[in-house]
Amino acid sequence: MISNLETPLYKAAASTFEDLAMMFPSRELDELQQVAPTETGVCVRFAGPFAGRLEVHLTTALLPTLAANMLGDDEATDESVARDALGELANVICGNVLPAIAGSKEVFHLSAPAHLVPGAVDPSGLPLAARAQLGLDEGRAEIRLFVAGEPG
Amino acid sequence: MAFNILVVDDSAVMRAMIIKTLRLSGVPVGDVFQAANGEEGLQVLRDRWVDLVLLDINMPVMTGEEMIRHMRASAETSAIPVIVVSTESSDTRVSAIRKMGAEFVHKPFPPELLRETIHRITGTSHDQQSGDSALQGSSLDF
Repeated sequence: MISNLETPLYKAAASTFEDLAMMFPSRELDELQQVAPTETGVCVRFAGPFAGRLEVHLTTALLPTLAANMLGDDEATDESVARDALGELANVICGNVLPAIAGSKEVFHLSAPAHLVPGAVDPSGLPLAARAQLGLDEGRAEIRLFVAGEPG
Repeated sequence: MAFNILVVDDSAVMRAMIIKTLRLSGVPVGDVFQAANGEEGLQVLRDRWVDLVLLDINMPVMTGEEMIRHMRASAETSAIPVIVVSTESSDTRVSAIRKMGAEFVHKPFPPELLRETIHRITGTSHDQQSGDSALQGSSLDF
């Protein structure tokens, strides 16, 4: 992993959870959060000066809250809507972290968010460049950035 | 005057968030149409009267940039104001979008920014609008 990528990754993720989903993360995880599973995952692939993918893994029990907050609708508990909400959140994190790493003049192309099958192994075999964890209520989010080559 | 607005984004959640923000913003909204990509968006423009287009950039089938090019090339749609609402942060790409006559709003955005951008691009003023008070006290950021 590349340690200097973890701070921009955490900042982009935390501000996106706050601004988009009105969920306020903590950097330090309590005991409950540390053991909370992150069964739901989405992935956004990107290409540009360097290529890779960003994954967001979330405790599934947080999905309804995430969707309801993003839509401002307490009834927004439909699972497909909630997964779409998580995908959009991943898209915004990815769109904000890449210029923080590469600079604002570089152009990246982002793919549509894709849902991850639990336990599936990505065939690209890209190395993990950075990882950030966010404590959220009684769960957590884990953000993983995989990069081909040396970013920045 | 109420604006008929077309929202083009491949995420149904983001379309819903943008429409909710529009309604919070105090901008007079008439009919709201939705499309999931640029091609669908152009079809809506052929079928409906639209005063303002809000669109994403990265979409399957046809991107937002391609849709703007098609709009600018057609006499019927060349003058319709366009606001790009995107996570795009590249100065190079944002500059290219502005050169096509579109405004740019970065995701996530507060409702006030969307309202100000709509006023600027449509040439309307806050005084002309009713419901500006809907924003007062609002702290939602999208």
